[in-house]
Order: sequence, then C-alpha cells, then structure tokens
Amino acid sequence: MFASSWLILLFPLLGFIGLSWYGNRISRNLVGLVGCGTIGASFFMTLVTLSNLLFLPPEERVGHVQTLYQWVSAGSFKLDVAILVDPLSVFMFLIVTGVGFVIHVYSVGYMHDDPEYSRFFAYLNLFIFSMLVLVAAADFFFLIVGWALVGLASYLLIGFWREKTSAVLAARKAFVMNVIGDVGMVIAALVIFETFGTLNFADVFASAPGMFRPNDDSMLLITLLLLVGAFAKSAQLPLHTWLPDAMEGPTPVSALIHAATMVTAGVYLVARCHVLYELAPYTMYLIAGVGIITAIFAGSMAMFQYDIKRVIAYSTMSQLGYMFLAMGIGVYSLGMFHLMTHAFFKALLFMAAGSVIHSLDGEQDLRKMGGLQSVMPLTHATFLIGALALAGIPLTSGYFSKEAIILSSYHADMGNIVFWAIAVLTAGMTAFYISRVYLFTFFGRLRSPAAHPHESPMIMIIPLLVLAVLALLGGVLGPWVDSFLAPVFGHVAYHPHDNALESIALVVGIGGIATAGLLYMVSKERLDLFKEALAPLYVRPTKAIGAFLEQKAEREGIDFTVDQVGLQIKEVSHGISLWQSGKVRSYALNMIVGVVTILLFVVFM
Amino acid sequence: MGQEFVLLVSASIFCVGTVGFIIRKNPLIMFMSIELMLNSVNFLLVAYSSFLNSLDGQIFALFIITVAAAEVVVGLAIILTIFRTRHEMDVDHIDVLKG
Repeated sequence: MFASSWLILLFPLLGFIGLSWYGNRISRNLVGLVGCGTIGASFFMTLVTLSNLLFLPPEERVGHVQTLYQWVSAGSFKLDVAILVDPLSVFMFLIVTGVGFVIHVYSVGYMHDDPEYSRFFAYLNLFIFSMLVLVAAADFFFLIVGWALVGLASYLLIGFWREKTSAVLAARKAFVMNVIGDVGMVIAALVIFETFGTLNFADVFASAPGMFRPNDDSMLLITLLLLVGAFAKSAQLPLHTWLPDAMEGPTPVSALIHAATMVTAGVYLVARCHVLYELAPYTMYLIAGVGIITAIFAGSMAMFQYDIKRVIAYSTMSQLGYMFLAMGIGVYSLGMFHLMTHAFFKALLFMAAGSVIHSLDGEQDLRKMGGLQSVMPLTHATFLIGALALAGIPLTSGYFSKEAIILSSYHADMGNIVFWAIAVLTAGMTAFYISRVYLFTFFGRLRSPAAHPHESPMIMIIPLLVLAVLALLGGVLGPWVDSFLAPVFGHVAYHPHDNALESIALVVGIGGIATAGLLYMVSKERLDLFKEALAPLYVRPTKAIGAFLEQKAEREGIDFTVDQVGLQIKEVSHGISLWQSGKVRSYALNMIVGVVTILLFVVFM
Repeated sequence: MGQEFVLLVSASIFCVGTVGFIIRKNPLIMFMSIELMLNSVNFLLVAYSSFLNSLDGQIFALFIITVAAAEVVVGLAIILTIFRTRHEMDVDHIDVLKG
C-alpha cells in the first residue's frame, strides 16, 4: 500500500549527495534544477502517499509501518529502518516538502549571486532529508537521529556565510543549545528502553496506559526529558537564546528552518507522544505554562527590535508558544493546524522580508528602510497578507488557527482564564509589532539615501504569491485538519464558540494595530521614540537591579564558591599526585604489595 | 613428580622473577624477569593439565606464550627507542611522567 513512501526520503538524500559530489562541476542552472527538482519529486510522492491514505477508512489510517530492512537485532532489542505512515507524519511530510519546495524555488533567485550556490542547495536538501527522517521515524532511535541531523543542517546553514564571524558564532550557539536538547532526548530514550524494553512508538504507546497511572514518576521523568529536547529545538524558555541569533543565516534558511519546519519539531514531538503526555498532566500544565510565557515574552521582545528579521524571529518564538499552549491544554489538532498556517504565513513574511533585504543589498535595519510600497508593489502586497494573517485579522488563515487556540485556552478542560488573558494580550502585541514593521518598511520615505531598491525577480515573487494564497485561504482547511488527524489523537478537536470572548480578542488585536498606526503618525518615522519613552519606566530599574545582582550574587556569591571549590580540589590533588613518582620499580613494588595483601586477605579471612 | 614439587618449583621461579624485576635497573634484565614470571605460570598450567587430564591448561599456556611474544615486541621497541634518545638504560632515570 505504502511501499513507495520511502521515495519521499530518497530524493532529498540523492540531491544532497549529488550536489556535494558534483555541485562544483555542473552549471548553476542545473544545480538549481536538481535542488528544487528533488524536493518537488519528494512533494509529489507525498501527495501519492496522501491519496493512498485517503482511500482508507479513517480508523485504518494509523500505524502503517513500512519496514525497509532490519538494521540491528541483538537479543530482544530490534531496530528496523522503517517509515511510519499515518495522518500525523503525512501531514508533516506535506508541510516540509510543500513549503520546502516553495522556499527552494525562492532560493534560486535569492542566492543567485552567491559564489557557493551548490553548497547552499546541498545543505538545504540535507535539511529536508533530515527533517523527513525525524518525522518518518517509527521509533525513538530514528527520531533522535533525525533530531540531531536537523541540528547539524541548521548549524551548517546558519554558518553558511563562514567568512562572517557573527554567523559562525551564531551557528555554534545554535548547535550547543540544540545539543542540550539532544542530551535530554537521548536520556529520555534510555529511560524509555529501561521502562518498556523497546523503543518502538507503537509498542511504547500501546503499553503505557496499562502500565502507569497518571503522574507516575517514570511518566513524569520521560515526558520532562523529552520536553528538554522539544524546548531546545522549538526555542522555548529558557532554551530560546539561539533563535534570534540564527537570523545570521541567509533568509531562505530563516524561512525554511527557523520558521516553517525545524522549530516546529518540538510541537510535533509532543503531538507524536501525546499518549505519554496524557499520562503526565503535570507536564501538560508545564507545557502550557512555558508556552504562554514564551509567547508573551517573545512578543514583548519583538516590539523593540530594529532588525526586520529579528522581529519575525521573536514572532516565531511567540507563535511556537501558542502551539505549545495548544499542546499543553490537549487540543492537539488545533496546535497542528496553527503549525500549518504558521508555516504558510511566517515563511511568507520571512521571504517577503528577504525580498526587501535583497533589494536593499543586505540591509536589515528598519531605521534605514521605508517607502518601499511604491517600488516593490508585489512584495508589499504579499507582506501585507502575511502580516494580516499573523495579526489574526478575520478570514485570513492565522485568524482561524490562533483564535481557536485562544478560545480553547479558556474553554478546554485544562484551560483557565489566566491562559486566555495572556494569550489575548500576546495577540495584541503581535498585531502591534507586525504593523510597526509593516508601516516602517513600506510607508514614509526611504531612510537610506544610498540604496536603489527594485522589485525582486519573478522567481522570488512567484513563491511569495503561492504562499500568500495559502496564508490567505489556508484557514478553510481547519475542519479537514481536525478530521484528518482525529485517528491519531483519538478524538475530533472541540471547537468552542463564544462570541463575547472572540470579540474581546478581536478588539485587542485591532487595538494593537491602531497603536502601531498612532506610533507611526506621532514618531515621524523615528523608531527609537517608543523605546526612549519607556526607558525611565522599565529599562533603568532593570539595569540597576542587574548591576546590584552582578556584584552581590555573582561576584561575591557564585564566583567565590566556585573558585573555592576549584582551589581546594587543586590542593588535595597536588598531595595525591606525589604518589606518582615516575619510577617503574616503585610502581611494581606497590602492585606486588597490593596483590599480596589481597591474597592474604582472601586466604586468611 | 608430585604436585607439591611442581608448586614449589613454579613458586620459586615466580619469586625469582618478581625480586629480579624489583631490584634490577636494566630494562632488559627486568624484561627477562617478567618472562620468568610468565613461564612459571605456564609451567604450572601445563603440569596441572597433565594431572587433571584436561587440555584447558595447555591451551591457556599457548595463549600466554602468544601474548607474551606480542608484548615483547612492543616492549623491546620501546626500550630501543629510549636507548636511542637517551643513551642510557637505567629505569630509575626514566621518570618524566612523575606527578
């Protein structure tokens, strides 16, 4: 039935290998053709698999494991190279290959003048392959393999411009933070193997409900360890620091990896392991709490950034927070739906921003933009659609997915009024910061006199238009996503209707847009006015507290303790090291004395 | 040839080897002492293989001889290199790795 599904993974792998080996020897056009063609073929195979899946009745769509061959067989431990085909993995395949294909096409235009064109496409194909391994994994082992591979691809692509120090540093930071998550995942896998005797998803999820009661220790341990990986990959607090820096990479990378696909791996992980998480309600509360705190924290950070890509990066963190909130309160398919719409409109925003950056010769500073609306009408229109979807304006895709999560945060069983209030506040911030970016980029006058902006070539504009259509109309897919994913999650998501709460959220969102408009009018295109106005209120007290803590807590507290521990250990070890005389004969004597002592002990005791 | 005799001979050779290893400073002599110790054990193994009517002891002895040969190759190579670089053969002077 799904015998050809492995081709989905094969094409990007072939593309990666081919471009790595022959990339420098073939023409640029051929490199672009291979890079995009492999992903296009992969997308086509995904569609074939999807249609096969849709022919089955809904209850028979889960648990199809396509085993390619047995890799390890040691005692009771078996490891198959296998592909899991179920609605959730096919859903992710669609996003990864579909959005990935569009971004590949965009990259043909964006990276056109880069001397290392083929290396870029080789890495992009490697990333798509890794992400597909992660999603297609039928056990925790290959999940971790994919998990680490996407981390590697992300590292390579953030540091793609390797002559730039900041890019190399950012890449290293991202890698280290991701490895922290990997360690959590590996320990989680070990604990799972210890507990269940298998790493297979199907076996673990089938036996877990019978073996444990909710909030049993081992369930909490496993879910929390998995969560370390999820939070690191999805840039949730406190493992979020790498994502804003990751914007050092080329813009298509930001769109593909740091908005649409890789950072959603954490959300996918929770969705995939929802059986385990339902046995650990405490962890669910933690997910919802961290998600909503990240959402508002990142939203507030985005309000003050000058770098257009950083605003969108913080916005990504914030939207991921919404997805984790949805996971935490148990409305999985709403979270996955938001993942999909977010992939559409955030990739669109990044690529439209990339189009702006491209036309300004690499300028990313909002203070040097402005007035581009007349020069770049198509980029302007697509960015506007992305911004409207992100702000959650009715009838755009973002409205359907975000509004559903916000309503559920109050009406779901695990929801409460606090989650709802913070979610609505964050929605207001979202509307504010994206309107601010939009107004300061496309209206007024161009604040960088040397620049000669121009509309981007059609190969960049067409992907923008495709995503703009999806970002605008993707919302109609909502009910389909719910029913398609229902076999995996065991139930159809409940859609509450509450006109009062919905209108409050809408008013807050429009309020955010209005505030941004007001700021734009008042500030006369000076972006730092807003920041300066808030400085005495917020920035200075925080700095004072920071200075006080640095002296008292860090220098005299933590540093002193750490230094003393080190010094004492050094003293003791110096004493012990005198035993090591370097004389072979004294070692031999010590050994003989030791052996004789042990012998005497054994014989006479 | 009784068991006591075999044990006594083996133990004596082993002690000669041990003492020789500790009191001599020439690495070549120390090497010979190690061989003495190994062969005292081989002797014991072969003798008991005969007493117990089992081939296990002889197989073990063969293994020990093989490993000892490999070990001698490495050891002699090290001694040769040390002699080439330092032009002396006193193990007490070779103490670069002291703590």
